[in-house]
Amino acid sequence: MSVNLKAVDVVVIGLGAAGGVAVLPLARAGLKVVGIEAGTWMDPHKFKPDEIYNNVRGLVTSVPKAKHEIPTFRTSVDQPARQGGNAPMMNAIGGTSIHYHAQSWRYSEWDFKVRSESIRRYGPNSIPKGTSIEDWPLTYHDLEPYYDLIEYEVGVSGRAGNIMGKLDPRGNVYEAPRRRGFPMPPLRDTDFTDMMMASAKKIGWKPFRGPAAINSETYHNRPGCVFHGYCDRGGCHISAKNSTMVTTIPEAVKTKNLTIADLAQVTRIVSDSKGKVTGVTYIKGGTEYFQPAKVVLLASYTYENSRLLLLSKSKAYPNGLSNNHGQVGKHYFGHWDSQAGAGVSALFPFDLNIWYGAIAQNVTVDEWADDNFDHSGLGFIGGASIQVNTEKHPIGAASMNTYGHAPQWGSKWKSFVRENAGRWVSSYVQSNTFPYENTFLDLDPEVKDPLGDPVCRVTSGPKESEPRQALYAVNKMEEWFKATGAVDVVASRNFRGPGLSTHAFGGTRMGNNPDTNVVDQWGFSHEAPNFGVLGASIIGTAGARNPTLTVQALAWRTAEHLIKNWKSIA
Amino acid sequence: MAEENDSFQMTRRAVIATATFVPLAALTAAAQTPATALSPAEIRTLEAFVDRLVPQDELGPGAVECGAANYIDRALADALSAEKGGFVQNLANVETLARSTHGSAFADLSPEVRDELLTSMEKGSAAGFPGARQFFGRVRRLTLEGMFGDPYYGGNRNFAGWDLIKYPGPRLATTLADQSMKTPAKPYRKSAYGPGEIPNVR
Repeated sequence: MSVNLKAVDVVVIGLGAAGGVAVLPLARAGLKVVGIEAGTWMDPHKFKPDEIYNNVRGLVTSVPKAKHEIPTFRTSVDQPARQGGNAPMMNAIGGTSIHYHAQSWRYSEWDFKVRSESIRRYGPNSIPKGTSIEDWPLTYHDLEPYYDLIEYEVGVSGRAGNIMGKLDPRGNVYEAPRRRGFPMPPLRDTDFTDMMMASAKKIGWKPFRGPAAINSETYHNRPGCVFHGYCDRGGCHISAKNSTMVTTIPEAVKTKNLTIADLAQVTRIVSDSKGKVTGVTYIKGGTEYFQPAKVVLLASYTYENSRLLLLSKSKAYPNGLSNNHGQVGKHYFGHWDSQAGAGVSALFPFDLNIWYGAIAQNVTVDEWADDNFDHSGLGFIGGASIQVNTEKHPIGAASMNTYGHAPQWGSKWKSFVRENAGRWVSSYVQSNTFPYENTFLDLDPEVKDPLGDPVCRVTSGPKESEPRQALYAVNKMEEWFKATGAVDVVASRNFRGPGLSTHAFGGTRMGNNPDTNVVDQWGFSHEAPNFGVLGASIIGTAGARNPTLTVQALAWRTAEHLIKNWKSIA
Repeated sequence: MAEENDSFQMTRRAVIATATFVPLAALTAAAQTPATALSPAEIRTLEAFVDRLVPQDELGPGAVECGAANYIDRALADALSAEKGGFVQNLANVETLARSTHGSAFADLSPEVRDELLTSMEKGSAAGFPGARQFFGRVRRLTLEGMFGDPYYGGNRNFAGWDLIKYPGPRLATTLADQSMKTPAKPYRKSAYGPGEIPNVR
């Protein structure tokens, strides 16, 4: 028998990058909120500059529950699906925002209307075959106030390139107009970032320093970044990285309206015969609880959002919660689904000294992203942002490509890495990415978690547009490295193929049409009126950049919509 | 994944009753006297192997001197305990290969002959040694971890791995000058956990 708890206003499932943001406006509005989180508080004193701990063994990221729920994966419906790789999910108060790179981008105006803009500019045949692309049900301008809010509430450093139409070439002139600049200047310039900026300008491009949810100076009483070079898959030892663990969640706790049920695993979302959700069941310390709530917001990772809906069957929802139109799990895609392995690395005839820094201490070029260039005759839409970063770890550095100059071991190898481990750099190519009919999530028929529930299964078929986009961008990246004086450039054009993604989208897509979307433009279900979804699982097309800021802006917007319409929704 | 398969057989109720979450701290608390996994004979084979991957030469210490085999030994007793059985079997396969081709223990062969055998493993052409290529790749990878990882884990002795590739060391904070391309940061020979290696039981 489960233990019945006292009813609350709102349950938020998952206190990560999305749920961790949404709890703040809800708690400030005086709603009684319970945040249910499978992990618990992490101790910043345990975050170490240790490549073996963070990167080799994944001890910050691969926590026990997530490890047991790694989705299975296959590239067609004829294949068996296999569980594998590292879990892109994370259980902790703050979730993946603890160890992410903290690149905090706004999407472009084009990202919100890929379909209509592509048809307008290139005709109906420009839409890649097999895709299910729809325009977003909201525009960039609808979301702009929330981008601004998150940039200031959470803290994002960067330099504006477009303040209400006034362009500033020191920032990204391709960015959508913003109402004001960032609350902090970009992460500091270094010799390396200066060099990459200068070479991109030399070939006529407009490089800029990317935005980061990392303090570049003291902000909200937390210090600026000290660039020790262990940001990737590590937590910040001085809390300069603006994870929800140190920003919005503690603020929400202060209101006394947020109660956190930690180390608690939600097993089902419960609904009544009329189709309203009534609360959630969760397991904590071996006991099963039922937490009744007037409204439930689901904010786990993309794979888990679809999985929990498909598992939450009831009389009103025999195929899973909010799935009477069969859309849960559909329109899924991962950022690297068709471009995994797309990348370029370069060897220079001098030391780059990029050991220290942070991935977010980058230089980015947006010339070849979104619809920033004429695609006529190219055979694809969208593109990719290209980027170089600081932060290189010693094992990773020594695992370098030898560019055909040395064998993989022995004295010659040793002499090669002595000279060159500090002289090479890779790049970060991120494509605009789209949903395809051959790519979706469902429940695995065989693999189960320790509770006996099936894990999520990913089916990801071939894509038409993204490999061409990535290839185009790879060539541009190569050009940039050569213009910077690289002596050797290795470009990977044999893309490794799809896999589980740390940028996973869809499965509970947001759109106006209930026949093809799970939630409406506010993130609320088309079927269950008092149930909403937060996270990248509601995003229908991915920008050529990291998704977290957009996820957080949408989460805040959903929370605000709920507050304004409390009586009708609850 | 064996534990998971076992648990599939359990009833949902039983699992609920026993499900616990292991706090991260419990996973990170490394033993004060690290355990080891390999026998002296196995260590001898492994050292003769990694010695050829990164030999000691005029550029400084090699993998053996850096303690890479020691790192692997500890890892197999701890974080990599699941692969210990296979690893030990593969070390035995290396010995079988040495004896069948040259009638001698691997560690007693000349550097040139060891290179020849390792090359045949790397290429997957070593007779009677299925999985040789994968094992070679795994040992190479673990050797890099043992040479260039934090000395806390038993390798990178005297920070010789970091000195070799001119990695200036994990500082808790850096200045802009530390990121300069003209005058790189001075080596900071400290582990993230204190002065250096935690001594072995051995």
